[in-house]
Formats: sequence, C-alpha cells, structure tokens
Amino acid sequence: MQKVLEGNHAISWGAKASDVKVIAAYPITPQTQIVELLSEMCTSGELDAKFIKVESEHSAMAAVIGSAAAGVRSFTATSSHGLLLMHEMLHWAVGARLPIVLANVNRAVGPPWNIWTDQNDSLSQRDTGLIQIYCESNQEVFDTTLQAFKVAETVSLPAMLVLDAFFLSHTSEIVDVFGADIGKKYLPPFKPVDFLDPDNPKAFGNLTGPDYYYELRHKIHKDHLRAIDVARRADAEFGKTFGRSYGLVEEYRTEGAETILVTSGTITSTARVVIDERRERGEKLGLLKIRLFRPFPLDDVRRVLTRAKKVAVIDRNIGFSIGGIFAQEIRSALWNTRVHVPLFSFIAGIGGRDVTPEVLNEILDIASAVEYPEQETYWIGVKDEELSYTGR
Amino acid sequence: MRNFPIPEDELMTSGHLACQGCGATQAMRFALKALGKQTVIVMPACCWSVIDGPFPHSAVQVPVFHTAFETAASCAAGVKAGLDMRGDHETAVLAWAGDGGTFDIGFQALSGAAERNDDIIFACYDNEAYMNTGVQRSSATPFGAWTTTTPHPHTKSHPKKSMFEILAAHRIPYLATASVAYPNDLVDKFRRAREIRGMKFIHIIAPCPAGWKSAPEKTVELARLAVQSRLFPLVEVWQGKYYLVKKDLPYKPVTDYLSQQGRFAALSEADIGRIQADIEERWEELLRKEQLGGPVPGNA
Amino acid sequence: MSSKKRDFRDESEMPLSAVAADDMRWNKTGSWRNIKPFYDPKTSPCIASCPAGENIQGYIELARKERYEEAARLIWQNNPFPAICGRVCYHPCMDGCARGSLDRSVFIPAIERYLGDYAIEHGLREKRPEKTLDDKVAVIGGGPAGLSCAFFLAKKGFRVTVFEAKPLMGGVLRYGIPEYRLPKTVLDAELKRIEDLGVEFRPDSIVGKDVTLEALGQYSAFFVGIGLQTSRRLGIENENSKGVMAGLEFLEKINTGEPVEVGKRVVVVGGGNTAMDVARSSLRQGAHVTVVYRRTRDEMPAIEDEVHEANEEGVHFRFLSTPVGVITKNGRITEIRCQEMELGEPDESGRRRPVPKEGTYFNMPADSLLVAIGEKPESKMFEAVCSISSGLIVTDEYGRTSNRKIFAGGDVVSGASTVVNAVARGRGAAEVIAAELSGKQFDPKKTKKVVAIADLNTAYFLQKDRAQMQRSDGAGGRRPFAEVNMGLTCEQVQEEMSRCFSCGVCDGCDNCYVFCPDVAISRHDGTYTIDYDYCKGCLICVQECPRGILSTESEGK
Repeated sequence: MQKVLEGNHAISWGAKASDVKVIAAYPITPQTQIVELLSEMCTSGELDAKFIKVESEHSAMAAVIGSAAAGVRSFTATSSHGLLLMHEMLHWAVGARLPIVLANVNRAVGPPWNIWTDQNDSLSQRDTGLIQIYCESNQEVFDTTLQAFKVAETVSLPAMLVLDAFFLSHTSEIVDVFGADIGKKYLPPFKPVDFLDPDNPKAFGNLTGPDYYYELRHKIHKDHLRAIDVARRADAEFGKTFGRSYGLVEEYRTEGAETILVTSGTITSTARVVIDERRERGEKLGLLKIRLFRPFPLDDVRRVLTRAKKVAVIDRNIGFSIGGIFAQEIRSALWNTRVHVPLFSFIAGIGGRDVTPEVLNEILDIASAVEYPEQETYWIGVKDEELSYTGR
Repeated sequence: MRNFPIPEDELMTSGHLACQGCGATQAMRFALKALGKQTVIVMPACCWSVIDGPFPHSAVQVPVFHTAFETAASCAAGVKAGLDMRGDHETAVLAWAGDGGTFDIGFQALSGAAERNDDIIFACYDNEAYMNTGVQRSSATPFGAWTTTTPHPHTKSHPKKSMFEILAAHRIPYLATASVAYPNDLVDKFRRAREIRGMKFIHIIAPCPAGWKSAPEKTVELARLAVQSRLFPLVEVWQGKYYLVKKDLPYKPVTDYLSQQGRFAALSEADIGRIQADIEERWEELLRKEQLGGPVPGNA
Repeated sequence: MSSKKRDFRDESEMPLSAVAADDMRWNKTGSWRNIKPFYDPKTSPCIASCPAGENIQGYIELARKERYEEAARLIWQNNPFPAICGRVCYHPCMDGCARGSLDRSVFIPAIERYLGDYAIEHGLREKRPEKTLDDKVAVIGGGPAGLSCAFFLAKKGFRVTVFEAKPLMGGVLRYGIPEYRLPKTVLDAELKRIEDLGVEFRPDSIVGKDVTLEALGQYSAFFVGIGLQTSRRLGIENENSKGVMAGLEFLEKINTGEPVEVGKRVVVVGGGNTAMDVARSSLRQGAHVTVVYRRTRDEMPAIEDEVHEANEEGVHFRFLSTPVGVITKNGRITEIRCQEMELGEPDESGRRRPVPKEGTYFNMPADSLLVAIGEKPESKMFEAVCSISSGLIVTDEYGRTSNRKIFAGGDVVSGASTVVNAVARGRGAAEVIAAELSGKQFDPKKTKKVVAIADLNTAYFLQKDRAQMQRSDGAGGRRPFAEVNMGLTCEQVQEEMSRCFSCGVCDGCDNCYVFCPDVAISRHDGTYTIDYDYCKGCLICVQECPRGILSTESEGK
C-alpha cells in the first residue's frame, strides 16, 4: 500500500515488513522517529517484537548481538555519535557473524554539535566489516531494509543501511509499503547457522590465538567478497518479487559519457537533474551512483569508470589529509586495472551544507576545465573572500 | 554426613585454565549446579574469558556467549529477549561478570538492565580488582588493599563501592550476596533467583590467591572469614525493601581475615581500626534496614 | 562435547566464527602441580591416647548410627570391660581429644559406659572361636590384667584357667573400687562374658598352696597378673594401735560387706585413688573425713575426677602435712600428731619433694587412721623362675619375662597404675603368648600417623556443650553406696557423640569433593578419588578437610 512517509518511518515499516523479533535502540536526533514508530507498532501489537529501551547505543548493539546470538532477527537504528559509540560492538557483531541490520541516519559528528547530514559517521565504520548500503530515496530505504536482512542472513554478517539526515529522514515521500505477511515472500524466517541452544551447548567467541584467528578473519573477508554477488542477486530477486530494484551501483546515462560523476545518497537525486541539463547542452556526461559501499563493488565500478576519460567523485565526507573517502576507494579500485583515469575529488555538503544544482555545476565546470586535477581535493563552497573555491 | 548437599551434575569440567585455588571457578561450578543445563551464560571480559579455555574448547557445558567488557547486562538482556521470541521461556540467562564488568565499565549496562527490570540473573564473582589484566584496582577493591595501580604507600584509599546498596536502590526483585565458602547457600540463592521474574543480582565473594597474595589452599577459608568478619555479610533483599540478614554465624575479628592476605600487609593499626569500625557501622545499618522492611512477604 | 583437543588443518574444517563445541578435558592440568594431596587416613588422637588402643572413633561412629551392638563388639576387640572402664578409667582419651581445641573434649568414658551397659542389658555375648586349640594357658591373678589376658587368649581358641587367691574374681575391681563407683552387678556381668568364652575361673586358689606345681605342668604358658598385695606402712610410732588400718584392708571389708566401725572422725593418709576410695567410703559410714597429704592437690596422683567428687561430697583436705605419730588411749587411737611440709626440689617421680618444716607440729583428733600411701608387690614366689627388680616382675613392652613360658602384666610389672593399663598389658601378653605357642613370629601391628590438632579444620563444627551426667544423692542420700554417676540417657549419648570430630577418619562430609576448583575429586560408593591428571595442587582439599585426612607430598620437579 502507498503511504506518505518520511524516511525514518520508511525504516520502521521496513523493519516491520522484515518481521524483526527484537529491537534495541537509543534515541538520537535525527533517528528518533524510527524508534518512536517502532515503539508504537510493538505496543499496538502490529509488530510482534520485543523492544528493549536500552540506556545507550553501545548497549543497543550489545543487546541485538545477544538476541541475534539467541537466533532471532534483530534490528537497531542510530546516527552520528550513537553510531560512534556503537563502534566497538560493530566489530563484535562482525566477528560473531551475526546478521543484525542497523539503520543509520547520516549525521555529522561533533564537536561542535551538528545535527545535519554528512557521511563521516558511517564511513568511520568502514573497516569494521559491516555491510554498508547508501540509499537515495525513502522507497529505497524501505526496500533496502528487507534486502539488507536477506544479504546479512545469507553471508552471516551485519548490514547497515544509510540515509541522509533530514533530506530523507524527515522528508516525506510516497512509499509503497507492505507488512510481514508480504515481506516473508521475499524474506524467509531467519535460520541461524549456530545459536545459543542449551540442547546443543557451544561457546561463542572464546580466546583464539594467532593460529586460528587468521583463518576466521580470512573467512570474513571471503564472505564479504561473496556478499557482492549475494547482494546483486538479492536486489534482482527483490525486483522480480516487487518490481523494484536498484543494483549495487546505478549507471545513469553513462553511455558515451566522457566525464562520469560519482555520487551517493541524496546528492544523486540532484545530480540526475544537473546531468540531464548539461547533456541537453551537449556535454558528454554520465552519473554513477554508488549504492553498495561495503563490500566495495569493485567489478561494477571498474567496468563503468574505465570507460570514462575523467571521473569526478563527490564526497559528503572527509578523510582528513587524504581527501574524500569514496574518491579514495575508487582510486584504489582503479589502480590494478592499469587504466589511469584522471580522478577529481570534490568535497561538498559536509555538516549538512546544501548541495544544490549550483554546487554540482561548479563541480562539473571545474572538472571540464582541466585535463587533470590540479588539487588533491577540492572543497567546494569554502568561505573565502578571495577565491570561489579553495583546495586541500 | 554431607556438609553441603548440592546437586550432583557437573556442568563445569576439569582442564580449565584458572590459577590454583581460584575462587571464581568454585563460584561457577556451584552456580551451574544450581541453574542446571537449561542456562545460557553471557560472559564479558574477565578472568573467566580465559578460564573457559581457547577456541574451539569451552570448560562449561552450557552455551556461553563471550561479549565485550561493558556489555554483560545489555547483551544478556538481548539474549533473554531473543530466547523469549523463540518461545523459550525456560532457559535462564546468566550474565557472569567480574568486578570490573559489574562495578566499573559494566556499570552503565547493569544499571540500565536493573532499571528496566530485564529478566536475567546478573552474577558478579568479585575478586576485588582487575585480576585478568594483572591485578589493577577497581572500585570493588577494598580500602587499604595493594594492587599494581595502588602500590605502596598509596594503597587504595577509597572504600569499596557498595554495589549492594546501589542495586537495592534500583528496587530489583531480588538481590543477594554469597560466598564460595557456603556452597549450598549460594546454590539456594541461584535457585531462588531462577524462579523470580525480573532482574536478579547475586554478588559472590571469590578470593584470588594470585591477586590477594594469599595461599591457594586458603581460598575457602578467606571466603568464610570474609563473611564471618561481617566484611561481606550474607544478605538477601527483595524489591529493595525486604532485607534478610544471616546472623547465626560466628563473628570473627577482621584481623583473622586481613592477616592472611599479602595485599593487606601494609595496613596500619589505625587502618585496621577504621576497617573494623566500618564493619560495625555497616552491620548496624543492615540490621536497621532489616527491621525497617519487616518480614519478607510470601509472594516476594 | 568431545574431550579431545581439536586441531584444524584447513580453514574449511573451522566453523564460521569462534564457536567451541568441545570441552577442556584434553588439558591435563595435573602437570601444573608441584605438591600433591593424597588421602591418608590417620589415627584419631583419642585412640593414640588410650593405653588399650581402643578404636574410640570407630565405636562412636557405629553408635551414632545406632549400631550399638557392633560398637560394643568393637570395644571388645581391645577391652573386655567397657562398662567398668567407662566408670573408673582416668580417661587419657579425653586429654587427647581434639575437640578440646574448640570447646571441651568429648565425654568418651560416658559413651563407653553406655555401650558397656547396653551390652549387659541386651545380654550380648562375645563370639566363641571356631576351633579350640590344644594349648592350655594358666593365668595367675583374677584382676584386670589377668582377666584381660584370659579373654583375648580364649577368643583365639586357647583353653585358659584363671587362678585367683580370693573367693571371688575381679581383684582391685571388686576388692578395691567401691560400689558407688563400680556396682558389683556390673562387674559380675562383665566377668560372666569372659566365663561364657569357656575360661575356667578357679577362685580360692593360691598358687603354691592350693595349686601344686605339678598341676601347673599341664599348662604351656603362664601369665602373672597378681597386682600389688601389701599396703605400705607409715613407719610411725603406734602404727599398730587399734583404729589404725591399711587402706586396702578397709576397702576389702567394705567391698565384701563386712561391717567396719570407723567412728566419727576419720583421717586418711595418702593422695592416690585408694586414698580417695577410702575417704569416700568412710564418709558413707557417716564419718567426718579429712585426707592428709604431704604435697598439694596438684601433686596428688589420684584421678582428678575422684578428687573433685571427694571434695564435692564433703571430704576435707589437709595438704602439706604428714602424720608423724599416733596418740593412743587404752591402746586405741585418739589423735594423730602431724607435721607440716613444704615443697623442695623434685624427686625421681618429677614431683617436688616434700620437706618437713621445722617445729610445725599439730594434732588432729581421730577415731580411725586409714593409711593409703601405696601398695607393694608380693613377688617372692616368682624370684626363682624369672627376673624381679624392686619387687616388680621385669618384662619387655609385650609382657615377656626372662622365662620363655612366663608372661606378666599389670601392677606387678608397672607398679601402681590403672585398670586400662592392666587391660592393655593383658591383651598385649595374649598376643605374644599366642605367637609363641603357635610358633609364629610376633608382628606388632603398624600404626598410622596420629592426627595433629593443626591438621583439623574446626570451622565445620559448632560449639556445643558437653553432656552433663545425672548424679544420685550420693554420700548424703538414703542409699549412700548407690552409684553416684548415673550414666547418660540415649538422647544425651547421641548428642554427645555428635560432638566427636571423627579425627583422621573420613565420614563422607564431601568437603574435598565440593571445594575442588578443578573438579578433580569424585565420589563413588563413599570413597573419594583424586584425579591427578587435573589436580593442580592448590591443596584446598587438605585445608578444608575437617578431620585432617589428607596429607601432602612434594613432587620433585
């Protein structure tokens, strides 16, 4: 059924459609609506789940780790500092191979306090081993919740779906939703590989030396790689079942494109419009949306970007000194192809600063003006009375 | 004629990695005998994380989930929620933490679970310092004790945090202290806890020869003297109100206890006097609380 | 869960995450040990203290389970006279009893008495041996030493005849110890048990007079237990006056029911058990009694119980005094002249020697002077056949004399001693006689280590008062010679026995099994086993054993 839902509520519906059994969460702006609606759903009984109102995000992740270890589908949601506080336990969920789904509303980190969107919170979890999927619309958010469970439960790794603060979390869109009765057509009941079972007692997470830890980490790495295809198939199957699919990356008008713009999150929606406009004017431009960030869809990215003459990556995040994180990932992805595509790294939108069509035009102007980037990183829109932009 | 009729089944086996004379293992053995095999243990970082043995082996024959240091109570709450949602309302969830994972780094989660009245048993086996990492002080370390982070002459100057009072203030359904020297008392308390719905906390004094600098063979004796000197009285509290203090025990001077532990070797006469005075004051307070609460109601 | 150590060779063998499905029993932590505990049952200190070596812990253990008959029979393996010794023994077992370190030692004689009386009440008899042996043994002297020897020899199948000079058996048990301490009915019952084994009693038979040496030729061996016959004399003026009597002589009359007139004021000289018996018997004749003793109460050789009871009954004591003369009128004693003493250097007995104080004389009025300053042996008839020294027959610790066929025990060997010592000697001699006659080598039994009090852990025992025995009206009552101490009731005995620690003998308390942190002690059919594959040598089991059963040995590393 169609509903007008803000992104946060789309997530609540996604969790409900996924028939989650245990939720543990701690409120933080701008995630609170997720848990508020879920709370109501649990209270009314329309969602048959236990909601543990934990006393911090660290405990939230610990609690869903516990419930997932007990063998039930578990869910949590957070943002920014809450995610940072969960960091230790994200590693734990990965190492314990528990298919928890976590919805993160991308919010800037402090100090100073900033409640608006950027991606540093989720990208700081990059090496934990958490699967990461970046969503562009509220529909995608709802759909990706189910897909995230499917992928997570297939590869036994936790997954995080990410949405922009306010642009998605608090913006209403029309979302086609359904309940668990429909959801189970796509997402069967969770069958854990191992779980806490007194009839078959096992211990989880015992002290492990260098002799075996190495292989256990290797397994995670392999399953991460495996998750790429699993995610692809999960998305395709979702398409077959519900008529909507998104891919791991999305190429938008890349045929014949010489310069390809790479975006993620809601910047993508704005970019589509700008690409259309500029293509009207004859520019050979295309757009690549990165949806699956972890595991990194190496083949897809290589396939698309090695055809380009220039690549311009927009990062709503910063890896201090090295530049945009997506840019760094893409450079690294392209290296072994031996195809040396000039890559422009643009920083925009940090701390929720609006990424308007003007900003995107400025980016594309810069990219088209020179053969090769003249700076490692272009910070678009930095207040500087002398220059319209400054680098590094 | 058995001094301690306790259940026969062994759910903890030999071959574990505990030091000689470890009180924490006695505590686990008795607790498991009380709770039976329909139990899941959630174990944060503590001595038992190592005692349990290396992957792929475990010294206990019930499921164990090793978790991060801070998270015994929160993880256990999650496990319990998960089991309930599986339809399993029988399996007891036991959070099994040392004093670090209870009093300090684990305190937030413990307080959270207590306030929510999560249906778990939280057991703290208290060896009064961070023993697993090499005897550093915790807030459970008693006044006057040596540890590596309270070396002479700056031995611990603060009193032991009174976890008992803190949890009584949370008004949880059941709270008790226990000692490895009184095994069937410990077993009874765990059994009682298992039958109660909501949050239960059992605080066990578990001497550590390595960290207390005591002889390994004296572990049970020290656990007994801790109780008999009233430094660690055996108490139960229901709903934070109804106290039951075990009084029919010999009363020994605290010097009997202190003199057998190298960690107290530097205590001055004044220190000992202060400890003894503190014991008496707290004992009186406990008795007053027992009076105030009145008899334990039948449905407690 | 499997107990083998699991090793992975290939990643594919490993689970998805660090999941452990096997236990730790492959890890033999016994290798950590450098000191090893082991079960080492020991002798209880009460047993070690008992001259007869009675298995006190053993009979208490049986009696606690209400197996009274078995308990009584267990005593009979070391002592045929529980009902007697339970009443009259000086109970060194109580001095050794470890319970004394917690509160007060166990009231062992009361328990023994209960069991002895039980056996009598229930007419229990000792089992006769299956075979009767050819050899005949003659026991000379029907007192505790001889009767004990006869009992143990008869149990082994020997044919024994006990020759006793007096008209009745018992020796000092009948003719020395008064009725109010040891009723004759009890004595006769204990004696009957010996007769029921086939032992021939020959009273009124003095060897060398009523029994000829030829008649003795039929015996393969002889045990001499004739005790001490003659009372020592004070050696003072007018000692032969009327009213001056030897203590033993006085007791014999009392104990055979012969009327004795002692008058209103009696003075008893001496500090031993005989003196106490004499004093208390005189009291029961209605006299005012004063015991005059040359040292102080601390040096008195009498059993403390006796002194205490005498005092309670109203016997007066005059210490550091000794009679130096008897004042008479018409050949009859009227007063005693005494001198005060003081204590000087210790003599050969270790006690400080009494030294007369110059010029400190005093008189005491007396209708009788009863002299109980010790007895002497009458061993002249044996001088020709075995070594005698200072009148005492010389033997080794087992009663062997210088003559292969002659054995001896009791006071005639040791000098004035106690009933239980005589019983022990009689039994010891029976063992060597049996060995000698069967041609076997005598092998004294090896004894186990004795439990030291430091080995025990008294934390497991609650303080509990010793049972109090009911007492009759005693000397002042309507029946003055009725037994003073009336024994414990069944409930009291059970309560009292529950105070026994069972030192050195496991009673299945489970402490070792319960407290082992390594689950290395298991229990099967009431015995405990340490699994040394896992024992780390923490020694908690040793420490927590209430009874000191576990011992340690270091393991050379």
